Amino acid sequence: MRSKRDHTFVFWLFLSPVIFAFLMVVVVPFVLGIYYSFTDWSSSPRDGAGVQFVGFLNYAKSFADPTFLYSFCITALYTIVNMAVVNVVAFALALFVTSRIPGRNFFRAGFFVPNLIGGLILGYIWQFIFNSAIPNLGALLGIKAWSDPANLLLAKSVPALFAIVIAGTWQYAGYIMMIYVAAIENVPIELHEAAQIDGAGPLRRLFAITLPMASQAFTITLFLTLVNSFKQFDVNISLTSGGPSTMFMGKAIYGTELLAMNIYNAAFVSNDLAMGQARAVIFFVVLAVIATIQVGANKKKEIEL
Amino acid sequence: MKKLLMTLLALATVTLAFAAPVKLTLAQGKPEIDEALKAYASDWSKANNAEVTIKSVGGSSNISLGQQLKADYAAGDMPDIFAIDGPESYKEWKAIIADLSAAKWVKNTSVAFKMDGKVYGFPVAVEGWGMAYNADLLAKAGVDPKTLNSLGGYTAAFAKLDGMKDALGVNSVVSMAAGPDMGWVTGDHNFNSLLSNGLKYGDMSVANALLAGNVDAKRLTEYADWVALLFKYADPTVLTTGNYDSQVGAFANGKAVFLHQGNWTDPNMKSANATFKMAFAPHGSTKAVSDGIFVAAPSFYAVNSKSKNATLAKKFLEDLASTDRGAQYMVKEAGMIPAFSNVKLSPDGLLSKSVQTWAASGKIYSWNQYQFTGDFRSKTLAPIYNQFANGSIDEAKFIELLTDAFKSLKK
Repeated sequence: MRSKRDHTFVFWLFLSPVIFAFLMVVVVPFVLGIYYSFTDWSSSPRDGAGVQFVGFLNYAKSFADPTFLYSFCITALYTIVNMAVVNVVAFALALFVTSRIPGRNFFRAGFFVPNLIGGLILGYIWQFIFNSAIPNLGALLGIKAWSDPANLLLAKSVPALFAIVIAGTWQYAGYIMMIYVAAIENVPIELHEAAQIDGAGPLRRLFAITLPMASQAFTITLFLTLVNSFKQFDVNISLTSGGPSTMFMGKAIYGTELLAMNIYNAAFVSNDLAMGQARAVIFFVVLAVIATIQVGANKKKEIEL
Repeated sequence: MKKLLMTLLALATVTLAFAAPVKLTLAQGKPEIDEALKAYASDWSKANNAEVTIKSVGGSSNISLGQQLKADYAAGDMPDIFAIDGPESYKEWKAIIADLSAAKWVKNTSVAFKMDGKVYGFPVAVEGWGMAYNADLLAKAGVDPKTLNSLGGYTAAFAKLDGMKDALGVNSVVSMAAGPDMGWVTGDHNFNSLLSNGLKYGDMSVANALLAGNVDAKRLTEYADWVALLFKYADPTVLTTGNYDSQVGAFANGKAVFLHQGNWTDPNMKSANATFKMAFAPHGSTKAVSDGIFVAAPSFYAVNSKSKNATLAKKFLEDLASTDRGAQYMVKEAGMIPAFSNVKLSPDGLLSKSVQTWAASGKIYSWNQYQFTGDFRSKTLAPIYNQFANGSIDEAKFIELLTDAFKSLKK
């Protein structure tokens, strides 16, 4: 008969590799990061650069910096638009590939493939499409609106933000679609049959049966798209590099610099790693709060069979 | 038994120490010479029982060498040799940069990186830029390159060329880029016209005045006219969204008469099979006539003094400057203009030859943009140029924003 203590020992023994990895790559850097955000650490042997404790100075300076405030606004806007577009497109695609059209497995795979392409490469592909392919096609087909340099999507900051939404949707909708496909296929067929006998049309069944039954999927997809949009970095840096510029609070600043890129630029372009770290902490807190609220709200709407 | 083990261990260590090549890492920011440098480093490694790794970072605004170095330093993996671009990055790494004053190559160059009378940087090459022009197209249009030396001269030439675009087969007069990726063309290179055009080599009066927040309104207004002129006659697609390839490509393919870039574009001209004659003309950022282009050694190799292989790293640089193989690499393979008087070879690229011609007659202006921090150039100046290029602001607002930016520099 083995004692309980032996079991506990084996339990921790088996857990220890995971705990070690978790501590080393998540907990320690996280704590160190918070510590550095209160210092003037700069990762270079510059004169006078030690690790000095500076209190909340980095936080105060961040909130006084127009580029950071602007990035906050633009990231919120981007997140709302991107969440809406990705989910609507993904759900529409899911309905499409769960209908009885021929070759639906091929379409499922096809819509999913962009998700397997790295965000950086994808950004460059779309940069080429927006900057060269569309204008040249417009010139070829004689469509003036496409070939006019004044209409280049990446030349002005607001259209450029929507260009990131387009590229982001193209990349992510297929992935979200797969979650919806699973949810839609899990809806019991009897419900649909019963509703059909009662004379409900396809649209009525979509709103009265499919959507409520798929609400668990919505909790997941909304959470994923929220976090993913908020953390958008790779498509941002390759597609627009944060540009083009715009005017904000009387200063010319980068117009599509989302939060993650703003943090990166604060750390590496401005050579202020501690400042970047402070912004990353703010970023974490905001994202954690919003995501918790979102999951809580969605959970209430879920239906248990 | 134990004794035997110890002996074996000691033996193994000794053989390992003799047999294993010494590892050297060189981090540099010129991706265009990556291939040639790697070939040279591999040859040198064989001859010196070393293993030289070349890390090339840069070429876009997404990641720069400075960023890579910070990551390497934080990781305790600082390269043995790394490139610095001027006083700002020297200050960043001062504590680990070795004094190279005793090196033999020092007497053969006039452009080594010096601070307080000591040599800290090995000049990678001499580089220069002005307005690169397509001499064949200018001849066809009847424009004399000698008139291209002032605001007035350029205004007349651009207007004339703009009227002949169809006859010349070009899309635009100037290939200029001010897009988000190209902040270095505007915020670094074009900005330097304001700082040093027409001034004596090494004259930092304008740069120092701006750093102190004092703006010379007359010089700034003439400069703004110059920027407006360049933007007006540029292809809007390339100007607002173009990257390096589209900007250089337009000129290399004969679709633009002028290119706002430097002699580092020679390899691009070669790969695009550009056969026309080309050379540099001065910038026209002042009403007064300028007679020179911007020439300097913009990048220097510094030796990491904390590296245990610092001696070998110094030998690597010494061989680069003094051996025939080194000269062959620098000039013929990497296509760079040598910064050393003992190297007699001359690069094949036409633009590099033009830089040599200007430099030989002493008609050169300095590069002063690196007196300003990277943060200021790429996060404050570049968006202002981009706003102007987009047409979001007019010239008066452009001047106002620049003035505000300089005033904010005052400590």
